[in-house]
Amino acid sequence: MKKGLFYIIISTLIFTSCKRDKDIKNQDNFDREAMLKNYAEELIIPAYEELNLSIQGLLNSINSFESNITLQNLNNVKLEWQKTYSVWITANAFNIGPASEQGLNKSLNEEIATFPISESKIQSAVETGNLNFNDFNRDARGFLALEYILFNGPNTSEDSVLNLFTIQTNRTLFLKQCAQNIQTRVARVLSEWQTTYKNEFIARNGTDVGSSTSQLYNEFVKSFETIKNLKIELPLGKRPGQIQIEPKLVEAYYSGLSLDFLKIHIQNIERIYLGQNKNGQDGLGFKDYLETVTNGKELVVSTLKQWENVNNTLNKIPTNAPLSEIIRNNSEPVEDLRIELQKHTRFFKSDMSSLLGIAITYSSGDGD
Amino acid sequence: MIEKAHQFFNTKISAAPLVSFRLIFGALMVFSAIRFMYLGWIEDHFTEPLFHFKYYGFSWVKSASRFTLYAIHMLMILSAIGIMFLQGIAYRIAAVVLFLTFTYTELIDLTYYLNHYYFVSLICFLLIFMPSYVSPFSNLKNTQIKRSSIFILKAQIAILYVYAGLAKINYEWLIEALPLKIWLPANDNIFLLGPLFAWKYSPYIFSWAGMLYDTFIVLFLVYTPTRVWAYLTVILFHSLTGILFQIGVFPLVMIGIASIFFSDAWHVKLVRFFVKEKAPVPKQNSPSSNYTLFNYLILGYLVFQVLFPWRYVLYPGNLFWTEEGYRFSWRVMLMEKAGTATFYVKDNKTGREGIVNNTEFLNPHQEKQMAMQPDMILQFAHFLGQYYESKGMHKPSVRAEVYVTLNARPSRLLIDPNVDLMKEKDSFKPKNWLIHYKD
Repeated sequence: MKKGLFYIIISTLIFTSCKRDKDIKNQDNFDREAMLKNYAEELIIPAYEELNLSIQGLLNSINSFESNITLQNLNNVKLEWQKTYSVWITANAFNIGPASEQGLNKSLNEEIATFPISESKIQSAVETGNLNFNDFNRDARGFLALEYILFNGPNTSEDSVLNLFTIQTNRTLFLKQCAQNIQTRVARVLSEWQTTYKNEFIARNGTDVGSSTSQLYNEFVKSFETIKNLKIELPLGKRPGQIQIEPKLVEAYYSGLSLDFLKIHIQNIERIYLGQNKNGQDGLGFKDYLETVTNGKELVVSTLKQWENVNNTLNKIPTNAPLSEIIRNNSEPVEDLRIELQKHTRFFKSDMSSLLGIAITYSSGDGD
Repeated sequence: MIEKAHQFFNTKISAAPLVSFRLIFGALMVFSAIRFMYLGWIEDHFTEPLFHFKYYGFSWVKSASRFTLYAIHMLMILSAIGIMFLQGIAYRIAAVVLFLTFTYTELIDLTYYLNHYYFVSLICFLLIFMPSYVSPFSNLKNTQIKRSSIFILKAQIAILYVYAGLAKINYEWLIEALPLKIWLPANDNIFLLGPLFAWKYSPYIFSWAGMLYDTFIVLFLVYTPTRVWAYLTVILFHSLTGILFQIGVFPLVMIGIASIFFSDAWHVKLVRFFVKEKAPVPKQNSPSSNYTLFNYLILGYLVFQVLFPWRYVLYPGNLFWTEEGYRFSWRVMLMEKAGTATFYVKDNKTGREGIVNNTEFLNPHQEKQMAMQPDMILQFAHFLGQYYESKGMHKPSVRAEVYVTLNARPSRLLIDPNVDLMKEKDSFKPKNWLIHYKD
C-alpha cells in the first residue's frame, strides 16, 4: 500500500517537473559506432597503410644507397625519410590496441619516434657494430635516430655526411636495420588493424575506460599535449630548472625540418578533432559528437575560435630558418604559439571529456 | 527523558542482526581487499606515484613498500574473516586491526577519497565497540545484545542515505537534471537499458528518483510492511548505479549492508544457512553503569555525524565550486567537474619561470582529481616548490592557472593565477585565493 503511494508520488513529481521545464534539450542520439568506423576507416587505417608503403619506399632508397653510395642516393634517402616521417605524424595519435603498450613494448610512438635521441648511444652502436633495436634504448632507434644518421646536424654539409657513410661501414647497416625495425613494428600494427582489431575497435562503442572513444580521446589529448610540452616548451627552456633556451631539443633538430613537422602535427590534431580524412573529406568526429551533448555547441565554438589563434600564431613563425635557429635568434613568435596552445589546452583536455562524460581513468569514482 | 533514552538503548534485543551484519560486512571486506590487489591498485595507487596527496591533519601517514602493503592487505583480509567468526577478546583485536589497516590504506592518498570508503572506515570503527560475546556459532535464539549496538549501525546508514538525498535537493540536480544529463546519454550503448538512458526525459526521472530514493529509503526499510519492497528498490537502485558508473564494489556493499533492517528471524535463517550452531548460550555481560557512558559516547558520535556535513554553510561561495566542506558529507555522484591545471615555478633569484609537466609527478587519476580541488592544488604547489628548491632553485614561488568546468558550463579560473601558493597554507579557514563562481 505505502509502496504504491510512494511510487505514485514519485511519478507525479517526475511528470510535473518535466512538464514545467520548458528548457529540455533534445538529446539527439549520436552514433558513436559510426564515429569510430569513420576514425578507423578514414583516418587510422589509411595512415598506417600509407606509412607502411612509405617505409617500403624508404627501404628501397636505402638499398639503392647501400649498393651505390652517392650523394644523389643519399639525398633520395633523406627525401624518403622526410616523407615517411611526415606520414608517421599523421599516425602518432593512435597508440591504442595493437599500437598501445604491450608487455615489454611501449607504445608505438615511444618505440619509433622518441626524441631527443642519444647521440652517444647511436655513435657507439655505429662504431662497435653492436646493433640492437629491441632493447630499452628507445632514444637510439626510430625515425629520429635515422634522422641523426642521415643528417648528422643542421650545419653538417651533405658531403661530410656522405663521407661518414664511406668511413663508417656500420653506418649504412644501422640505417637499414633501424628502418627495418620500424617496418616490422608498423606492419604488425597495420595487419592487426586489417584483420581483427578494426571490428573490435568499432564494437567497443561505450564511454567507459576501456572503450575505443575513451582510448582514442586519451591518445588524442596526449598527442596534442606533446606539441606544447615537448616540442615547444623544452627547446624554449620553459621547464622549471632549465636556465636558458635549448634549441637542440626541438623535434628533428638534425634535419632542420622541425617547423614543417610541427605544422603537420597541428593540422593532424585538427583533423582528428573534426573527423576529417587526409583528402579533407569530413566524417563523424569528436566535434560532431560534442555538438549533440549538453552545452556542446558552445564548447565547439570556443574551441574553434581558439584553434584559429593557434593557427595564426603558427603561421607567423618565420620559415626562412630552422626552428632551432629561430628560437636561438628571436624566440618570440614561438613563445606566442606556446601561449595560444596553453590557452587551448583546457578545451581539449578537461572540457571535452567532461561534457562527453568519457571516463578517463580506471579507478573507482565517487558513487552511491 | 534521559532515563527513557537509556532504557531504549539498553533494551535487550536479538543478536542475530549483528552476527549476520558481521558476516556480510566481513565477506565484502575480504572480497574488496582481494579485488584491490587483483586489479594492481597497490602498485597503481600506492607504490608507483612519486607524490601522495595527504588528508588534512594526516600528512604524517606515509605509504609503505610494496611488500608491506601486501602484508597489510593480507592482515586486513584475516581480520575481516576475524570479525565474521571470532568472539571475545579475539573479536575485539580483529575489529581494531581491520579498522586500522583499512583506514591506513585510505589515508595514504587523498586522490582516492570516496564517501563509501569513509563509510566503510566508520563502520569498521563502530564494529570495535560491538558486543564481543556473540559469534555465528552462538545460539542466536537465546542470545541478546543491547539495542544501542544495532541502533548506531542503522543510524549511520540512515545518515548516509538521508544526507545523500538532501544533497541532491538543489536547482541543478532537480530542475536542470545535471549532471545526469551528461552521464546518462554517455551510456546509451548499454545492453537493453541503453535506449532508456538515451531517452531525453530519463535524466529528469533519474534525478528525482535518486533524490527521493536516498532521502526516504531508510524510512521504508524500517517500516515492516514496506520493507521487502524497499529492499527490492535498494537492489534495483544500486544495480543501476553499478551498471552506469565506475563505482566498484559499492553497489554490492550497500545492498549487503541494507539487509540489517530485516527481522531477527530472517537474520537467524541467514546465519544458519552458512554457519552451524556450536556453542552454548554465551555468558552475557549484565547491564552496568558502563552502558551509560557508552550511550553518551554513541550520542556524541551521532551528533558529530549529523553536524559535521553542515560545516559548508560557514564558507562563502558555491560549495560545488570551492569544495570547502564538501568531503565527509555524503555528497555522492553529485556533479560533473573537471579541470586543467598548469603550474608555474619561478626562481626568485633569476626571475626565470618554468612550466611544470604534471605527468612527470602524478598519475592520470591524481592529476584529474587535483586539477579541480583547491586543497590538492595547494598541496601539489608546495610539493613542486620544495622539489625544485632541492634541485637548486632559489626560494621558488609557485602559481597555478586552473580552468575548471562544472556541470558542462564553460570552464573558468578556479583560483587566482597570480597568487604565490607557497605563501598560502591549508587550514579550515576559507581560502581567500579562490575565485568565486558568479553567474
